[in-house]
Amino acid sequence: MDSDAAPAEAYGAAAQEAASRDQFRAIDQDVQSLKKEVLDLNRDLFLLEEELLFPANSQVAFFVSMDVGEYFDLDSISIKIDGKEVANYLYTEREADALIRGGVHRLHMANLKTGEHELIAVFIGHGPNVREYRRGATMSFDKGIGAKYVELEITDSITAQQPEFVIKEWE
Amino acid sequence: MKLKKSIIALVFSVFAASSLASSGMEGQPAPDFALKSSTGQNLRLSEFRGDVVMINFWATWCGPCRQEMPLLDELHARYQRAGFSLLGVNIDDDSSRAMDMIEELGVNFPVLFDARKEVSKLYDVEAMPVTVIVDRKGTVRYIHHGYKPGYESKYQDQIRSLLRE
Repeated sequence: MDSDAAPAEAYGAAAQEAASRDQFRAIDQDVQSLKKEVLDLNRDLFLLEEELLFPANSQVAFFVSMDVGEYFDLDSISIKIDGKEVANYLYTEREADALIRGGVHRLHMANLKTGEHELIAVFIGHGPNVREYRRGATMSFDKGIGAKYVELEITDSITAQQPEFVIKEWE
Repeated sequence: MKLKKSIIALVFSVFAASSLASSGMEGQPAPDFALKSSTGQNLRLSEFRGDVVMINFWATWCGPCRQEMPLLDELHARYQRAGFSLLGVNIDDDSSRAMDMIEELGVNFPVLFDARKEVSKLYDVEAMPVTVIVDRKGTVRYIHHGYKPGYESKYQDQIRSLLRE
């Protein structure tokens, strides 16, 4: 009698264990799908926020790039749009190094009305022979319909042995 | 009697809640900033991620700061190797005075200059000194307003516990 009861009991325990394992798996799947939903929702919110804050039509983005950087040790860049300072960024050694290695930094993003605007960028750093270097570059640009991208490019002029600062518009 | 006790408890809990509200940054991500340092380098807080960071706001006109800084320098020298960084943020308008004081006190930790007061606004600095301790993940964990003798042992305990996390 006892020998019959033991396998039945064992079978019952195994079935119970399998059921609880299934249940656990189901909960785990639920948690995973919930996590995915939260991530998706978060991404949608982020995109929506960006679209609302920076509508594509009025958006202007300013990027900084650096080529070689032998004649210029970048310290900071400040930019003014229509006479108003909108960004002043201090570069750490690592960030300047990242630019020299080909990195591009999004310095500022703004919303501007269509029409003519003036951009003044002031580059501060150390030039050849560790001399303090402060150079401004100005550009007038026409903001049409659609997003605009402006690149502030620091390059080395080998012939002049000086850095050069160029502002370019991306088409 | 019971009613009296409960009123006292209620008053205390209200006070405790208001003091917590004033240090609402605790548990929040530490706002990032970059400032020029006394060595001429630009330092950015986020580049210290992975270290326990103490940010100490000070000014040359602040007596307790003068008292506290050599003690902070000792903490810095002691725990630097274990992953502790100390950033002194000076809020004077004229950084040359701060440089003189650093030299006079002989402190070696990096001092940053916040002449535009942007960072002190970011951290809601309303007293002098203010000491903020940030954990390895970049979360503000402790904020101390002012300095009284004995605070340094509190700082030490907090730094040690955060280094262990």
